[in-house]
Amino acid sequence: MGEKTQLRIFLSLPSTMQLIYLLDTVISDILREMNFDEETQEHVNLAVIEAGTNAIKHGNKEDTNKTATFEFLIEDDKLTIVITDEGPGFQREDVANPLEPENLLKSSGRGLFLMEACMDEVIYEAEGTIVKMIKFKQSPNL
Amino acid sequence: MQINLRHKGSVTILDIEGNLVGPNTIALKNIIDNQIQEASGQPVFMILNMERVQMMDSSGLGVIVAAYASIRRNNGRVVLLNIGGNIRSLIVMAKLVTIFDRYDTEAEAIASFF
Repeated sequence: MGEKTQLRIFLSLPSTMQLIYLLDTVISDILREMNFDEETQEHVNLAVIEAGTNAIKHGNKEDTNKTATFEFLIEDDKLTIVITDEGPGFQREDVANPLEPENLLKSSGRGLFLMEACMDEVIYEAEGTIVKMIKFKQSPNL
Repeated sequence: MQINLRHKGSVTILDIEGNLVGPNTIALKNIIDNQIQEASGQPVFMILNMERVQMMDSSGLGVIVAAYASIRRNNGRVVLLNIGGNIRSLIVMAKLVTIFDRYDTEAEAIASFF
């Protein structure tokens, strides 16, 4: 049985939204290298931008003394992304569902929903200060 | 990101170019807010031309939803022009497909206001 190929890329950013574009560059290259189809690339790219925004803006409150880290674990069958911030954390169940009629016209609150819609798995750990997102090369439902 | 503001009769058209993501969205929000303010309570008819927008995140979505809500309050309308597949998919995911009218040509979008 052959060994699984694994590659780990680690990115540590000071918490300023001006650096969110670095994330876009890094994840775009990873997704292209992994040969995800174009639609999946767009979805994962969006999920990473949303998770980065949450970590930098909502978690670390754009305090440049705080760091947001992004770990990309590349395997043959999946991409795992672990995002960590130094904020106080949150409870997923406290975040309102943006699809409810009373929330549809709110100007914010869609980030977590989009991450979950775009990835195969999203796991919140350590009070939400660590978010693990997984995209499989093939849908796990197939 | 670049935004070009032009008018055709009573219709305001914003040609948006670039990624509508994160801090970029503030410029669009400011331009829309200025247009609403300048209208002094009169209805605003606005087209957001997104032909050259490759990507939009929840911040971008938030700006166009806020524009929809503010403009509708004064009996105006905001419509989307030339949205690409990825933005269409985002709007569908967020269940906003029934909120935003979408057009493929500027002439159709303008005609929809009258």
